[in-house]
Amino acid sequence: MGHAKECGIIVPAILQHPTAVFEGLRQDEDEDRRGYGWRCYCGIPKHAYHSDGTARSPYPGQVYLVFVNDEHVAYNWRWKKAADDDPNLPVGHEARFRKRLL
Amino acid sequence: MSAIANDEFAKRMMLLAQPAEQFKPTATYDPDGDCIEFLAKPDAFFAERVDDLVTVYYSQETGEVIGSLIKDVSAFCRDMFERFPGFRIEIQAGRVSLQHIFLARLWTERFARDDLTTLTYRKLIEVSGETPIEGELSCV
Repeated sequence: MGHAKECGIIVPAILQHPTAVFEGLRQDEDEDRRGYGWRCYCGIPKHAYHSDGTARSPYPGQVYLVFVNDEHVAYNWRWKKAADDDPNLPVGHEARFRKRLL
Repeated sequence: MSAIANDEFAKRMMLLAQPAEQFKPTATYDPDGDCIEFLAKPDAFFAERVDDLVTVYYSQETGEVIGSLIKDVSAFCRDMFERFPGFRIEIQAGRVSLQHIFLARLWTERFARDDLTTLTYRKLIEVSGETPIEGELSCV
């Protein structure tokens, strides 16, 4: 149930109100398995969710990433450790993406 | 394709979910992506890449290894067939256990015994247990 809430609640919230958007993926692990990855939307949602679906505070020191391909389809989403110097950005963002749009 | 409101989208996602207590470990081969995704628990997780084959999932609740994503499965199997023809014996009717894939990786790479990568693979072997992989591998 927690995974469903991440998909149903967190993913739309991050896509609609990102704190940062990057374009151009440099790491193979971020790529779309069926095509070409394109953008990464970042943000810290209001809640995280336990496996039973109950809400809790977001995980400290982590940021939520939603990856969108070149057909504008979200294909992957997950929590990632945040950068030390900016909690709204994923660790290693400088090398991970080609450019920052927002 | 039509747009739907956030609440309606969330409701539809909830309908697709199963209660956590009904969760069973799953490993699914995705032929389009040529990858195997394994989840042993329904916990929220964060992902860390181990090497070019495996990304491991850690539980947000406990920090334990609870799953993995294995990429480029066909290429890995082909490489294994060339280097170790006996590996083919482990694949029957397009099916192979996760344990064998993790073990094969350990045996073919020069990881130190106490290397973090080695320990992660050992944990994955332990956690994956007898979980069968749904779907037929295309590399066979």
